[in-house]
Amino acid sequence: MPATPGGFAGKVLRVDLSTGKFSTQDTFERYGEFLGGTGLGYQVLWEEVPAGAGPFDVANKLVFATGVLAGTSVPCSGRTAITTIFPSCWPKALVGSGHMGGQFAAKLKYAGYDAIIVEGRAERPVWLFIRDGHVELRDASRLWGGGIRRTTLEISQEMGADCCVAAIGQAGEKLAPMATVVNSMSHSAGGVGGVMGAKKLKAIGVQGSGGLRIAGDREHWERLVKFHLSILGANNQHVVPAFPSPESEYYNPGSRWVGEPGKRWGAAQPPVEITGSIHDMSRISYRTNSAAYFLGEQAWKHTVRGNGCTSCPIRCHTTLKVPAMATKYGLNEIAQGTCIALNFGRFFFPALPGGPKGQAALEACMIGMNMADDMGIWSNYGQIQRDFIKLANEGVFQAKLGSAEYASVPWDKWRAGDPAFLLDLIPRIGERRGELGNVLSQGSAGPFDHWGIPESSWEADHATTYWKMGHPKHHANEDDGQCGVIINTQYNRDAQCHSHTNFVRNGLPLHEQKRLAGELWGSPDSVDAPGHYTRMNPYKAQRAKWAIIRKELHDCLGLCNWMGPWVASPLKERGYRGDNSLESRFYSLATGRQLDREMLDLAGERVFTLHRALTIRDMATVDMRGAHDRVPRWVYEDPQGAQPFSQGTIRMDREDIGLAMDMFYEIMRWDKATGAPTRAAYARLNLDAVGKALADKGLAPESGK
Amino acid sequence: MNPGDTARLADAAGAAVRAASGELRLVDCEAVLEALASGGQFGESEPAAREAARALLPGLLAGHPALAALESRTGRTLYYAPDLLSRTYARILDRKGSPLLLMAEEIRLNSRDYPRPVPVELFQASPFGLASEDIARALAAMAADPEYRDISSATTATGAVYLFSTRHLERGYAVFLAQRAESADMNP
Amino acid sequence: MVKEQSPTLIALAASAAGLDASLSRRGFLLFSACAVSSLAALGLCEAFGASPPVVILDNATGLILADPSRCVGCQRCELACSEFNDNRSQPSLARIKIARALNYGLDGPTGGSRMQGLWGDGLVVQGVCRQCPHPVPCATACPENAIVPDPKTGARMVDAKRCVGCRLCQRACPWGMMTFDEDRQKASKCFLCNGKPKCVEACPAGALRFVPWRDITREGRPTVAPLSVIPAAKAKACADCHTPAAKKGARR
Repeated sequence: MPATPGGFAGKVLRVDLSTGKFSTQDTFERYGEFLGGTGLGYQVLWEEVPAGAGPFDVANKLVFATGVLAGTSVPCSGRTAITTIFPSCWPKALVGSGHMGGQFAAKLKYAGYDAIIVEGRAERPVWLFIRDGHVELRDASRLWGGGIRRTTLEISQEMGADCCVAAIGQAGEKLAPMATVVNSMSHSAGGVGGVMGAKKLKAIGVQGSGGLRIAGDREHWERLVKFHLSILGANNQHVVPAFPSPESEYYNPGSRWVGEPGKRWGAAQPPVEITGSIHDMSRISYRTNSAAYFLGEQAWKHTVRGNGCTSCPIRCHTTLKVPAMATKYGLNEIAQGTCIALNFGRFFFPALPGGPKGQAALEACMIGMNMADDMGIWSNYGQIQRDFIKLANEGVFQAKLGSAEYASVPWDKWRAGDPAFLLDLIPRIGERRGELGNVLSQGSAGPFDHWGIPESSWEADHATTYWKMGHPKHHANEDDGQCGVIINTQYNRDAQCHSHTNFVRNGLPLHEQKRLAGELWGSPDSVDAPGHYTRMNPYKAQRAKWAIIRKELHDCLGLCNWMGPWVASPLKERGYRGDNSLESRFYSLATGRQLDREMLDLAGERVFTLHRALTIRDMATVDMRGAHDRVPRWVYEDPQGAQPFSQGTIRMDREDIGLAMDMFYEIMRWDKATGAPTRAAYARLNLDAVGKALADKGLAPESGK
Repeated sequence: MNPGDTARLADAAGAAVRAASGELRLVDCEAVLEALASGGQFGESEPAAREAARALLPGLLAGHPALAALESRTGRTLYYAPDLLSRTYARILDRKGSPLLLMAEEIRLNSRDYPRPVPVELFQASPFGLASEDIARALAAMAADPEYRDISSATTATGAVYLFSTRHLERGYAVFLAQRAESADMNP
Repeated sequence: MVKEQSPTLIALAASAAGLDASLSRRGFLLFSACAVSSLAALGLCEAFGASPPVVILDNATGLILADPSRCVGCQRCELACSEFNDNRSQPSLARIKIARALNYGLDGPTGGSRMQGLWGDGLVVQGVCRQCPHPVPCATACPENAIVPDPKTGARMVDAKRCVGCRLCQRACPWGMMTFDEDRQKASKCFLCNGKPKCVEACPAGALRFVPWRDITREGRPTVAPLSVIPAAKAKACADCHTPAAKKGARR
């Protein structure tokens, strides 16, 4: 048997909750072609979960998989993908992944596993105990019904303070499509909590004293790690500071690099002032303050510190301390989060006293972080909040809810922008209580299915930012024109791809971005100025493909696609270049298997194509173009009537998008008419068996047209 | 002055410029001369040595491999160490004496290079450090002055004010970009 | 460092301490902690017999100071330590300790308002070797004299060739700072990486500094129930210095 390549823990753990039995497989031998992470997940789903399986069926599987680089000192390597038949995908649940950071990925690998495949269903609530290769199912009846915080505490009491617990809250227990799995306080994987709940698996506790072998030379490894650190920017790989700096030619007020010397972590004791060079390697953690980025200057005085995933120096989560939370709301003064989860509470309010960066906004966010991450509620990238506002403003709640239930909701608080409103609303959603809670906890599918609201009305409304299949846009044309549109058509939930947006929002002036784009994707025309889009061209298709493949690769390697790829850098001496081969260089050094950029990207393409195959199989249609790769109506409209390709609009042109999809399918070597991979496309990626199985059902064109 | 002395003078001048750059100051020849004198560079033969240095300094500073020069708004040549001060920052420092020029040039550069309008609050923050009254006064003065006819403002739906130059940005696009910047935090 | 017995040296030491020349080895000397360095300077460690136990180590010259209020819990220090020193990504081998206090602080998952760590007030108290002055618990406990001062920094380091994997050092450290590599069956500990600690270099928040050594053993309560572990031969040697006060009559 070949030795396990470096970087891998070596084993995949299978847990059959129906029988209580465990087994293991060799990671690389069994799953090596699909790298890990989402690739491993797709492989399991393809081979073992029958087409048409529902998310809460016993037949569905839940694949927690990290990647070869997780658990090492590679910066930004703390990610776990959780792949399953995704509950909120509507109207028919299809393959999808939630993603979470925190400590889970590293701890799982130190415990000896690269992945956990959860199968079957337990008769009674259980939690999974994993310590250094020793696994057990333990009774979770005393934990069931409780929040994630207490669950984590009690499991830690049983396992030890250094364990990492991934748990569901009440929302997941009640099979809410809007349920998360949370580890390490604020790291949540969206959408998959209900699958865990359906299997009666309350939590996974992982503890490990093992380690990972790095195949490559130690000095070489150290140099590459240091190189990676040197080309890091701040969160989302924004490579210029938000403030003019003597150390930078460029700045961008919209940058997430907000840690200006002179600012301080005001709630640290004593406060920690930011000093010194903004490029200092021992100051990387001070660059990002997500709370300050979203909530304004007030957040600094409440900042205790940054936090985040194992090995990542960026610390995109902010730990906040707001004393008013205890006195006003009886909640913990301390909360932590980033991005959407940080904004969970604030986004429910169309207006707040003091504005979006005032005290009420801060308090609303604190409530959201504390409650949503305890009950394990997902926001569907802010869609639950947008849906709520639309339904409330259009009188749908008033029309549809029974009068008693409607009257029981403190609407006056909502209209007044009183954060206390959330103390009533969030538990309704988490407990799926009443019609309101039940509908909202289903995501956009709730109003569609339960109240017969046509999806088309969401698709026509710019304010919803709804895209398709129950999910919103995620960095689409508002950020990146056709490239963003293409990316958003390809998945069965919101795309969760940041490869493209990290680049176009990195803060460099357009001419620098275009110069880099020319080197990376063949032409400066692969990138446009925001809101000043030009017509589709093959270079944009190239870039869209790159963005998707790299995202998939990151999800397979345990890397963070909210930071990577690292193709731009803050370094003037490098011409602001990053390194487009960083992933393959790390992969090769860690594993000892030499894969250059093209070869590793090919593996990523294989993984993404398997996702495509799964989608085709489970939709039972080859017409991806028509049935799946949809674009909502609002994308083709402008509220002020501006024309596509004029300055100052994100409006796309139907024909041009048609051409964009043509070019994308072409570059993927898929059939242009259907957007389905051909037999040849599968064969090129060593997916012959997949191609044949689909062809047998008439779901794989023989050749592209 | 012999070559050895000249070389030493060049080194000392470079060090003086570097020291100033480290303190976020741009310096002209006179200021360098002053710094050298108070550092005891010229010793006892001060007046003569100083005059000799005055004649040589422009050439030495211009040719110094570790220094950069910029033409000040006042017409003088100013020197700085580019590894300690970016050109962008140096140019901001140069304009600090004149709020109008400070703001207008920055607005124009942003409109031309990125391109984007800038939030008015930018000029309150470091390194601009203008009080809101000064900003208001400067904007009013610009509105009345043909030299600054291109400086314009756009107000977003939420009432945020962004400034741009019509030389480089069309109003409609500036409004769009301002709106986009204001709503970036709603697009995480 | 520890050589053959030399009567001349004993006499030297005795007269240096103001004792009369007929003093036996038993009633030798009483030194304060400050005098330990001068002991080495005088080469007086050589005074103790053919296979004498190492009892006294010179102080280290450097120390890693950790500031919990800056720690962001990324564990890059642990990874730098094990990757560079063991060629593995394995925090359990790291000679700086974060994982055990990261989530709940040093008191563990108690719940309540005083909890530290990720689930408490956010504070992460790092575990760093204090490079203890004499008496060095780990070195004293080692029956093989395998914990010795690094020549460059004085850091107390495990000589892997001498270590027999008995784990007595683990039990002796009041702060649980010893590492044990199960695969190699050897103890290890922070040895300051030849004067350029990898963890300090790796910290992205500036929470670690490498500073001149000072005695911090009275700061930060021990986290392990103390258990004096002194091999018999060493215990005898301890008594050579630590004589009852009445017998001394010595001037310092």
